[in-house]
Amino acid sequence: MSHGVVVEDSRQVPMEPSTSQETILGYVYPHTPLELILAHGITPSLVRESPNAHGGFEASLQTFSCSLTRNLFSQRAGGGLSSLSGLLFPSNTCDSLHNVEDIWRHRFPEDQIFRLTYPAARFDEDSVRFLSEELRIFSESLKNTFGRPLSKDGFLSAASLVNNFRSAAQTLYSCRILDPSLVPYSEVARMVREFLTTPNVNAVRQINESASATSQVLDERGQLGTAKSLQEGLLAGTLGDIEIAAESNTPRVMVVGGMVEPQAIASLFKGSGKSGDDVVVLDLLSFGFKTVFTPQVNLKDDPFVATARSILGIPSEPTQEGLPGRLEFLKRLLSRLLIHGLVVCEQSFCDPDQFEAPSLVKAASEVCVPSIRLPIDPELSDRARLEGRIQSFLETLD
Amino acid sequence: MTGRSGKEEKAYRPLKMQDFLQQVLFRHVLEGNAASEQGRLAWVTSGFPVEIPVAMGITPTYPEQYGAVVGSQKVGPTICGFAEELGYSQELCSYARSSIGSTSKPEESPLNGLPEPQALLACNNICGTVLRWHDAISQMIGAPVFLLDTPPVEGEQQPHHLTYVRTGIERLIEFLSKTFSVSLEEERLREVAANSSKAISLWTKSLEACKNKPSPLNCADRFTTMAPVVTMRGTEHIIEFYQALYDEVQERVSQGIGAIRDERIRLLWDNIPPWFSIFKFFNGLAKGGVVFPADTYTHAWSGSIEGEDLFKSAATIYSNVYLNKGLQAKVDKMVKLIKEYDLDGFVMFSVRSCKRYSLGQLVSKELVTEETGVPGVVIEGDMVDSRLFNDAQIQTRIDALLEMFE
Repeated sequence: MSHGVVVEDSRQVPMEPSTSQETILGYVYPHTPLELILAHGITPSLVRESPNAHGGFEASLQTFSCSLTRNLFSQRAGGGLSSLSGLLFPSNTCDSLHNVEDIWRHRFPEDQIFRLTYPAARFDEDSVRFLSEELRIFSESLKNTFGRPLSKDGFLSAASLVNNFRSAAQTLYSCRILDPSLVPYSEVARMVREFLTTPNVNAVRQINESASATSQVLDERGQLGTAKSLQEGLLAGTLGDIEIAAESNTPRVMVVGGMVEPQAIASLFKGSGKSGDDVVVLDLLSFGFKTVFTPQVNLKDDPFVATARSILGIPSEPTQEGLPGRLEFLKRLLSRLLIHGLVVCEQSFCDPDQFEAPSLVKAASEVCVPSIRLPIDPELSDRARLEGRIQSFLETLD
Repeated sequence: MTGRSGKEEKAYRPLKMQDFLQQVLFRHVLEGNAASEQGRLAWVTSGFPVEIPVAMGITPTYPEQYGAVVGSQKVGPTICGFAEELGYSQELCSYARSSIGSTSKPEESPLNGLPEPQALLACNNICGTVLRWHDAISQMIGAPVFLLDTPPVEGEQQPHHLTYVRTGIERLIEFLSKTFSVSLEEERLREVAANSSKAISLWTKSLEACKNKPSPLNCADRFTTMAPVVTMRGTEHIIEFYQALYDEVQERVSQGIGAIRDERIRLLWDNIPPWFSIFKFFNGLAKGGVVFPADTYTHAWSGSIEGEDLFKSAATIYSNVYLNKGLQAKVDKMVKLIKEYDLDGFVMFSVRSCKRYSLGQLVSKELVTEETGVPGVVIEGDMVDSRLFNDAQIQTRIDALLEMFE
């Protein structure tokens, strides 16, 4: 399968066709150092779960491996992902992904497999030092494997690109909290996804244009200042003193979960009722909010330290320590952003999702926000039932 | 086979020191209850550097061991069910579900649940689940969680990796000092570490005695007698226990007495056992002359905290535990055990609860056979939740393996 087909499979149109010279490094974990990879002259590309991948994992993975890993393995076993020059796996995030990397190396010895180990503890400077060194080792292995050393100028340029993407995407997220009808959630998810799949200037330009247009509308309404304060508050993880007071005619729903595909969520909402995905005010998904609200890389700092600080500054994931902080943040968002309902997504056999779900539901109930849990798999094999559940839930919020 | 009394002898020989084991475990329960009342109890994961809290006067107790109790009392589905009622998926670890379920309904759980701790200490060298599990318990009872983060080791442990874990140990001491108003004296830590080393050394000698034919211990013997080395490492009284175990093992070896009556097939066991069926399962196989002189699980407790820098030593040992290493290291270990213990084959228990242990077994089965030439089989089930254990299906697979030795 060519990269173009991979992108097409992701229902995306590549903004710049890949050339035969292009080295593409696939990645599966949201908090991947895109800047660093780009600075080696390598294109990082998020490997998406394919709804068409069925079977092929059985000889290597048990059925209780998480649905994401089974899907990725099936894609590869079925001859997919061949346009990738290598694949990057995270370590110390969850047991399935960690073990699958090892299995992959044995099953597909011809593949170039890389590992990046993340700290699970959030010890600030100790964690920064650890991750910086891991990034340095990863960078060395990219150089040794592909013969492409890290370019400092390339890093500055790549970090600017990624920073611009984040800034624009944060604007869109913040503006939508004030008025979700300004730009459909599916459109935001698509643009974010496009950047993660093909991080280039065209992808950034597209999301920048959308952010500018949205900002202009809010500016005309005199709400741009509030949107900017929201962006700052969300980045700080505190929300500042923002509180949405205006009532809404349609339900305002928040979606939480781990490595669930935001476009899939948008698609389920679109298929589940008259309000479509306008009801989704905000997500806290790994490939959505948590990727977008990653702090900017400091261009003046050492590349490895700067990237490590940026990655460790993300809103924490269920794979890391910090559950009490995550729950407090959730409650703050629910109660101050006028959220009427919470959808908790969980992938099958995903420990982080499934462990956190009961606490998320409890936190929502503590601030009197109703919630539903949505078991989901990459193939959306239960699509009609999922849409039905969402529809019923939305009806209870009307 | 019929003995002098005319009564049919069992295929399996119980250890004489089972009563001693019960006494040691009973003492552990009493000490746990007392420590909880005195405000110095911590729940600890099995791979935690327990020597440190013990040296600081904090009593550890082990939710994983409690999970084994739940399993062996055959109430896994009920206790796990209590966690499921709270919204925890049946797909999650059954040790964790036992722990959450018994915390939710202690009065309906074995031993009235574990005594309530003042802190929850997790080390992710055995899996990533332990953090989320302890977080869930913390939400229920309010005790703070400390994570000793030991990222998986690939090949040789890198200096920055060791530094990171060592710093984590320093932070652990800060956390314990603050939470329990205690301090750590180096001399006391050396004493505790020495106790731990002595117990582990005796334990290791008992395990290695199983290289003899017939093997003096079977799997169930090791899985039950490992409890003190897991739960009471660092205390003096378990040294006496392991000395007694080693003496009995030596006695069996010197007299040529095996753990089973008629040892004919020697197999390796990989993974945690099905606690609810541990005696039935292994003793059933013993009737067919099958003994398990080695396993990957009970061999996991090894290494001594020693040297000038005790924290560095602890960081090294606890980072390099079996489950914190890659698939190749696991294969190497199994190959080594098969060769050193002269084993005819192996059984891999694919435990649905334990992804860190189990994912990779389908590949490692092939690699181990390739390197040793002996056959193996993968059976699937769970260690606590008997709803996930299909007796007939497992028997069919085991039978297929045993037919290869005929």
